[in-house]
Amino acid sequence: MVLQSLLKNCLQLSCTLRTPKAGFRSTTSGGLIIQSTSNDVYQNLAVEDWILDHMNLENRQVLFLWRNSPAVVIGRHQNPWQECNLRLLRQKNIKLARRRSGGGTVYHDLGNINLTFFTTRKKYERMENLKLVVKALKALRPQLDVHVTDRYDILLDRQYKISGTAAKLGRTTAYHHCTLLCNADKFVLSSVLKSPYKGLKSNATPSVPASVKNLFEEDPSLTCEMLLDAIAEEYATQHQIDHHITLINPADETVLPGINNKTKELQTWEWVYGKTPKFSVSTCFNMVYKDSFLDVKVDMDIKHGRIEVCNIDLPEQWLPPALCSELVKSLTGSKFCPNETTTLVTTLLRVCPQDNELHSRWNLLCENMIMLM
Amino acid sequence: LLARKFTDKHEWISVENGIGTVGISNFAQEALGDVVYCSLPEIGTKLSKHDEFGALESVKAASELYSPLSGEVTEINAALADNPGLVNKSCYQDGWLIKMTVENPAELDELMNEDAYEKYIKSIEE
Repeated sequence: MVLQSLLKNCLQLSCTLRTPKAGFRSTTSGGLIIQSTSNDVYQNLAVEDWILDHMNLENRQVLFLWRNSPAVVIGRHQNPWQECNLRLLRQKNIKLARRRSGGGTVYHDLGNINLTFFTTRKKYERMENLKLVVKALKALRPQLDVHVTDRYDILLDRQYKISGTAAKLGRTTAYHHCTLLCNADKFVLSSVLKSPYKGLKSNATPSVPASVKNLFEEDPSLTCEMLLDAIAEEYATQHQIDHHITLINPADETVLPGINNKTKELQTWEWVYGKTPKFSVSTCFNMVYKDSFLDVKVDMDIKHGRIEVCNIDLPEQWLPPALCSELVKSLTGSKFCPNETTTLVTTLLRVCPQDNELHSRWNLLCENMIMLM
Repeated sequence: LLARKFTDKHEWISVENGIGTVGISNFAQEALGDVVYCSLPEIGTKLSKHDEFGALESVKAASELYSPLSGEVTEINAALADNPGLVNKSCYQDGWLIKMTVENPAELDELMNEDAYEKYIKSIEE
């Protein structure tokens, strides 16, 4: 049951909840269930950071419920080029976010629910949390065959992954968050989570692909709201608190002072792309120009999302050598980014003679280079 | 070689010839689980005491690393790129994380020695 929080002032999240009298005997009593009013992945991830940094969880634990409009979320130390189809993301206007917890890449849309369990570092316990979720699902639909694996996935029918888990340990607090597939778009999911980029070499943490299924496919009467409610109910029971969900607005500085800076940081290119562990691209592509087939070999080292070293192997004299070396020089140090590269190559072309042949060759090469990003 | 000193965030530092070697304690590596990725700063990065200087990702969680002292990063352990497990296998030797200058030696006095750290762990484990 969701109650609208009309009194902003009653929610001073940085205050410690007074331990209820009955709670002295129980170590897990004292809790708070909050739900985000936003579907913006960056705002919601910022709330997690805020709680981790600002809340005292000694006497209570927090469950945060959230959903996002379409977004791909990569783990802290992952490589987005390796994990997803960035071109497709841009085309479909799907956001890319890098979270602060570890783990692999997931696709979020409104058919997926996210749960974050906040505790002290000491009380951090993923298995317990996931068992709570399974218990809630079974209470809702006893016939569901759901269980937790030792990889902290939740499987449906022993086969299909319906939930993945990741976690972050802070100074004194910790969070464990997981997804839960209710009615997400599996078609979009599988197409965006397939990387088209070849020749990448990286020691970034890889994802472990899995077959997924929506709970809705198993039981069409299920909705996200029902799942959220059932999980909140179980959490409330186990923490001996009221089944009351407090809504929070992740843009509200009065309730979450400093939150907008956190949101901004999560959206920066430096965080999303720049935090990618150093990697190399070693690939070749074929170009068809008039009646000839050309092989181009490209080798690049990318650090902090920028091209550190660049080598382009073209058939001799296909383009003026001076122009080629200008291209390599300009690319070196610039972002491994299609927009930045487009600007760069357009600028370089302006200083070239108005030669249609040259322009079309140049454009062909640059289009192919940009495809790598 | 000054004896190893510890922070309450379970990092250790040991100073030799003005350069401090930093790592995480055995308690920390055990709690963390198998390390799969080490995110370390660039050489030349200036750190203040308590600054976040990197992160470790393990099968359990991602966990930030906090600088025990103020100083400048002089070296990072390149072996960890291909072998992050060294942090678990040899947290006090081969699994060191960074080396840094010691800008303010007085800060060392604020850290715990080995005995104090052992007592500290016992108290939080209760």
